This record gives sequence, C-alpha cells and structure tokens, in this order.
Amino acid sequence: MVQSNGAHGESDATEADTTIQAGAASGASTDASLNARVKQPDSGHHKPVIWMIAALIVVALIACIVVVNSRSRKTATPTQSDSVAIGIKLAPVSLDIRNQSGSALEQLLIGNVYEALVSRNSNNEVEPGLAKSWTISNDGLTYTFKLNEHMNFSNGDTLDATDVAWSINQLKSKQYYNSDQVENLKQASASDATTVKLTLSRPDANMLWYLSGRPGLVFDKDAHYDAKTTAVGSGPYMVKSFDSSSKLVLQANPKYWGSAHKARTTTVTVRFLPDDNAALNALTSGDVQVLSPVNANMTGKLKSSGKYTVKATEGSDKFVLAFNCTGAKTADKRVRQAIRYAINHKEIIASRGGVDAALGGPIPSVDPGYEDLTGLYPYNPAKAKSLMQQAGYSTNHPLKLTLTYANVYGSELGEQLRSQLSHIGIDLNVNTVEFSTWLQDVHTNGDYDLSLVDHAESHDFYKWTQPDYYYHYDNAQVQALYAKALAATDEQDSAQYLKQAARIVSEDAPADWLFAYRVSVAQAKGVTGFPSRLTQSVLPLWKVAYTPAKA
Amino acid sequence: MRYLIWRLIWFAVALLGLSLLVFAALRILPGDVASVMAGTNATPARVAAIRSRMGLDRSYPQQYADWLGGLLHGNMGVSAISGRTVASQIGSHAAITLPLIVLSLLVALSIGIPMGCQAALAGSPRVRSVLHTIAIVGGAVPALWGGLLLIMLFGRGVGLIGILPSQGFPDAGWHAPRAALISLILPAITTGLVAGAGIMRYTRACLISMEDSDTVAMAMACGMTRRQAMLRVGLRLSAAQLVSVAGLTFAQMITGVMVVESLFNLPGLGAMLINDVGNRDLIAVQSELFLLAAFFLLLGLLVDLMHHALDPRLGERTQHVGGEEHA
Repeated sequence: MVQSNGAHGESDATEADTTIQAGAASGASTDASLNARVKQPDSGHHKPVIWMIAALIVVALIACIVVVNSRSRKTATPTQSDSVAIGIKLAPVSLDIRNQSGSALEQLLIGNVYEALVSRNSNNEVEPGLAKSWTISNDGLTYTFKLNEHMNFSNGDTLDATDVAWSINQLKSKQYYNSDQVENLKQASASDATTVKLTLSRPDANMLWYLSGRPGLVFDKDAHYDAKTTAVGSGPYMVKSFDSSSKLVLQANPKYWGSAHKARTTTVTVRFLPDDNAALNALTSGDVQVLSPVNANMTGKLKSSGKYTVKATEGSDKFVLAFNCTGAKTADKRVRQAIRYAINHKEIIASRGGVDAALGGPIPSVDPGYEDLTGLYPYNPAKAKSLMQQAGYSTNHPLKLTLTYANVYGSELGEQLRSQLSHIGIDLNVNTVEFSTWLQDVHTNGDYDLSLVDHAESHDFYKWTQPDYYYHYDNAQVQALYAKALAATDEQDSAQYLKQAARIVSEDAPADWLFAYRVSVAQAKGVTGFPSRLTQSVLPLWKVAYTPAKA
Repeated sequence: MRYLIWRLIWFAVALLGLSLLVFAALRILPGDVASVMAGTNATPARVAAIRSRMGLDRSYPQQYADWLGGLLHGNMGVSAISGRTVASQIGSHAAITLPLIVLSLLVALSIGIPMGCQAALAGSPRVRSVLHTIAIVGGAVPALWGGLLLIMLFGRGVGLIGILPSQGFPDAGWHAPRAALISLILPAITTGLVAGAGIMRYTRACLISMEDSDTVAMAMACGMTRRQAMLRVGLRLSAAQLVSVAGLTFAQMITGVMVVESLFNLPGLGAMLINDVGNRDLIAVQSELFLLAAFFLLLGLLVDLMHHALDPRLGERTQHVGGEEHA
C-alpha cells in the first residue's frame, strides 16, 4: 500500500500529473538492469494493441459494407422477378386448416395451396372452383356439382369425386373447424368420378358461400402428412417452408391441374410482421414488395416518395364493441343506447388515419343484407346523457364498467372510449389482456361488461341468432328472420330478410360497431395482380407478379 | 473434488425446483390452447371436446408427472399447435439467438475491456472522466432506442448510410452464411454496445481496486511500470471477476436480446416464447422455459468451475479453510 504511493509520489514531486510510465521509470532508476527492462516495452506496447483491435473492427465493418454494397448493385434488372415477398401482420400458428382457428390460415392457404369445391372472388361472390358447374334442386335440398376433369394434388395423386365426398364427410364426422357452419349439410356422395351430390337436411342460402371456405376444402384421402407443418393440396402453390415466427414460403406447383390460375411467380414469400414500424422498414428497405395491412397513419411518407402505391381496401372486418346483454349493468337497454350515442365514430376513425368506414350494424358492406345503419345512433352526447340519467347515472354518480380487449389492438382505442364515455357518466376501466386471455374470459366464459374485438369473418350474422354466443343476444324475431333468410331460395329475398334482422339487432344496441376496418395495402411500383378487396380473408396470389424498375 | 460433487448435487436440486416452479407458474395463466385452437367461432362444447382430445382435462399432478417423466428421458414433448417437437423448435430458433449472443458478447468484450482499461489507466483525469461518462451513458441507453438509431443510420433502404439489412433473417438461413452473418451485424452491435458499457465499468472498477493491492505493488517493486503491472498482473488477477461478469452478461443476453430480436424481426428464441405463451401452448412453453433456465444454471456452474481453474487459491480455501493464511 505504502510503496505504490511512494513509487510516483516521491520521484515526481515537481509535477503530480506526469505520465505513470515516467513515474515508474524514474522510481526504479536506481537499478540499471531493471531500468533497461522497463524502458524497452515502455509507452506504446499496450496502447497499440488496444487501438489495433479497434482499428480491426472498423476495417472489418467497412469490408462488410463494401461487400454488401457491391452485391446490392447487381439486383436491379428490368425483367419480371421470379419471387415476390409480401408482408402481413398476423401469422397462422400452424398450417392445420382443419383444426386451427385464425383468419390468416384461410387468407393464405385457401385458393393458393388448398382449393375448395367452389371458390370466392374478391367481390365476395361464389365462383366455380374444383367444380366447374352445379345445380340446386327446387326444394334447395340437393346440390349436384360437376367437377373439372383431370385434376390432381401437388403430390401427383388424382383428385376426383371420391376425394371431395371423403373430405366433406370427414368434416362432418370429425367436427373439423367451422363444421358447424354447414350443420344443415347431411352428407356428400360421389355419383361418378366427376359428379358429387350433397344432401341437405334444410335449405341453406349460405351453403354455397360456406363451401367456398374451410368446409368446402378438398384433401387427398390417400396422402399421409403432418398437416401442421406441411400441406398437400391441389392449388397453384405448394408450401416450401413454414415458420410461424417468420415466414411462409410458397412455391409454384409444377403439377397444377388448371390453366386459369397458374402461378405467375415461382416463389412467393409471405413474411409475418406484427410490428408496424418493423413492417414499414421491411417495405422501404425492399425486403417485401407488398405490405397488407400497413398502418394508415404511416403511409404519408410512402405516398410522397412516389415509389409505392397505397390503397384502402374494403373487407369484412368489423370492430365490435359488444355489451354483455345479460350483464348486471349492461342488461339495461338505455345504458347500451347511451353508449352508442356517446361514441364519436368520426373522431375514432380520424385518429386511425381516416381510411376506415363507419358501420352502423352487424353486416359489413361486402355481405348480402348490408344497409347503411349509421343513422340509427348518430353522435349525440346530450341524448346519451339524458338516457344515462333515466337509468340513474350521472357524471357525479358514474356507472363503473370494464372494457376487456386483446392487446393486439393497441391501447389507443380503449383510451378514446374511456374519455368519450366519461362525459356521459360512465367510468370505464380499460383492461387490455392477451388474446388467449380474452378468448377464455370473454369468449368462452362470457364474463365481461364491454368487449372489443375485430370480427373478421364474412357471413357471420348467425352469431346474433345464438344466445349462447358471448354476445348473449337473444331476440326471437331476429332468429325467425334469419331462419327465413336461410330457407329462402331466392338471393334477393334472402338478403331482404337479413336486412330486416340486421336493423333490429342494431336498434336493440347489443353492441356498437366502431368501424369497418379497411385494410391499407402498400405496394412497390412494378407489383401487379395483388387483390384489391377482401385481402384479409381471400388472398389469391396466383396472379401476383413483380417487375422491378430499371436501375 | 468434493466441491465439484456438492456443486453438481445443488445443480440437480435446483433443476427439480425449477421444473416445479415453471409448471406451476404457467398453470396460473388464464386461457388455454384449446380455446386458442377453436377461435372466435367456436361453441363452448367444441372447446371442451378439444380439451379432452389434447389431454388438458387431466389432473395437474398427472400432467406434471408425465412432463417430468418425458424430460428425464430427454423427451421435451411436442408442441400442441405447431406439431413440431419442442427440441427441434428450440434448435431452429436458437440457431439465430445463440450466434447473435456470441457476436454481441464479442462486440461487448472488444469494446468493454480495452475501454475499461483505458478508463482506469488514462493519465489525465479528464480522459478518465470522459470515458467513465461514456460507460454510464452507454449503459443507460435502452437497447431498443440504440437499435432504432442504428437502423436510422445504417438500415438498408431507411438509413442515412443504408448499407446493412435491418429486417429479418435470410430465407436460406445458415445455408447462406454470409447473408446470415450480415443480417446479425446491426443487432449484435445494438446489444454489444449496451453490454460493452457494462463490461467497461466492471473492468475499470476491477482495475482500480487492483491499483492499491499488494500484488500490483509487488510487481512494480520488481520493476514493472505501473501500467505494465496493472495490465499484466492486475488484469490477470481480475480475470476471474471478469469471467463472472462475461458469464452473467451472456446469461442476461438470452433474455436481453429478445427485445432486439423483435426490433430487427429476427425469429429467435424471444419470438418463439412470445408466440407460444400467446397461444398458451403450455407443453412447449414449459419445456422451453425449463431449458432456458437450466442453461442459466449451467452457465453459473461453468463460471464457478472456471473460477477454480483460474484462481487455484479458491480450491485450497474450500478444502482447508484459511490454509493459505498460514502459508
């Protein structure tokens, strides 16, 4: 302890701040041999090592930069690219389309990897699919489908009527996902190799449309594969690889049976980009050429750059603020109506970038039975206040309610609702939870006051006719009208009944429809064939192509 | 030798406790994988049917016993959702996270140790305090913010000098080693800078504490300069502590890089855990968490053993306490 002080304290009495080396050197100067040893490696033996390491790192970095730069220059070519990358927000957790929920599965696999008996176009209309034509008996109970000839799966197996009948009967017996949508379907049978007959127990106006979705998918009855990680379908694309935390890689199916939907691009990569900022970075850095959806508040720079087109697309996404119809506080219709009057939809839509559409009822604009119902509950805080007063609440004596919703929708919506409802005497406690918690507490157990969720499905009005669904909405008139709509064999009649039912639901205020989410799609110049509607539910990729601009 | 045996026994006991803790903690989470699979269209009856098909209606002790039995046989189970074995799931994600951690640690060490030495040894107090400030500020900057800055500076397509990829991992994975490595540069620098600042502070503190020690004085008495004594003897003696710090930093990074992975959209262990917890894929999550925590414990074990290797005095002390005092 003492020595170390002495070592430079005594020797350098003149200047305390001299370098340590000098201090040590003079301190040891009494012994010549030690002196010699000291001087030799002195000042600049260790220092250069440190700086050399630093310099090496810098050089290595610069080398990387040069390599990367020289690589990226080569990519600009005027011809059509053999690959396109698309960024979407929500990833399917597995590929098991028969068991696993999630609209991303339908969006990515139906029409691309798996094909259904009939298909659905971007106007939400049923079109020929594996079946080239069909007839429906006058009583609406027998559907006869004529299949295309010479069809096969990607593994080379032929696809004929036996596969179709097997797939549909399996759906019924194994209770696969959405099998309850076609509960009126009794059984399927193959009359010959290209004819399939479906027998119904009751007429169902939605049957064809549902058959264009999961219930109508046709699987290879002879193939054995792990449906969670791979797929054997008949579509224009095959699954090359899938990782739910990063991407799905689709490769054109060389054995595709059809010519109309033949893939234009060899490889389509779908990246899953849950973070809005990361997604935008991926687009601007060229990692993806299409982003669907892109946060509408972030599109300003994209539009002004001139390199991208941004379009809002219509879909069936409904942001439903459900009021528990059997809940202790929300069973009172006046409270529910007051909430609907108190919500300023314009403000909410504007804060989200102003592209979403107002929606006043349960049926979205792309579905049959749609009618503009936004006039039923216009923004009217005064009326809302008086309704709350009738129910016995005021700003001094507020009603305490809890809004439970999944954190994937962000915290802003909840805060906006809390502030808007505070003016009419509702003290809203916003509880954002994980989606799986929402599923358990709200959806399965039905234990909530207010809930908010994006119901993305099309043709899902039936949920308002099932009292055990988490809405707990029970109206015999609505149920009767819906039954009539299903039984009607004429499309116009059916839509008319739906319209009436939807109006009654909206008037009863079991929920508020905050807005119809319109997905903003951003695509780089040179991308063609990306669907312009319903991109969240049907995403046919066969015509997507990308031709990078000439450098 | 006795030390080694005791250390191993404690390791095993800790593992067992860990498995119980992980299992119990996950059962407290609301929601289950059946309702996630069934989705928003499902009726409660359908959810119940899926539950019983997946064996989720069995009692907790039974589920725990099954899981532990599997672990003892080296079988970590199969994810209920993805259908892949948990081992392959961890393997494919760790193939991104572990190289990222190693790279980050290299960056951290190559920044932290030289700068730390410099901060302790620099002649002028002004240089010392500037370096010290850098260490404190560097450690205080959140990795997320630092990463965003780096993207804005170097991210391809978005940055001022857009030269490095800032999003995702190449499609070919490690089959395209150069592209894979390049995609890890920015994330590694992001985590490395923050961790480097920490290592720099530790290095500086270690060296300063050595400054007054008898060993350094002795070395100087034998003719070394102060700088030499510090770097050759002081740093050598600090090595044990620095190894601990590096080990801890490594362990911290396993969770620490998760934020950075999500910023750079790398499908590493963080993304895997977030997905699996979100889906309530509990069989997968409990094995994954268990393995990660076991890895922590293993690192602790290795660091302890390394201490003994680096500093033989420790071994003597545990065998006959105080023996070295007499020597």
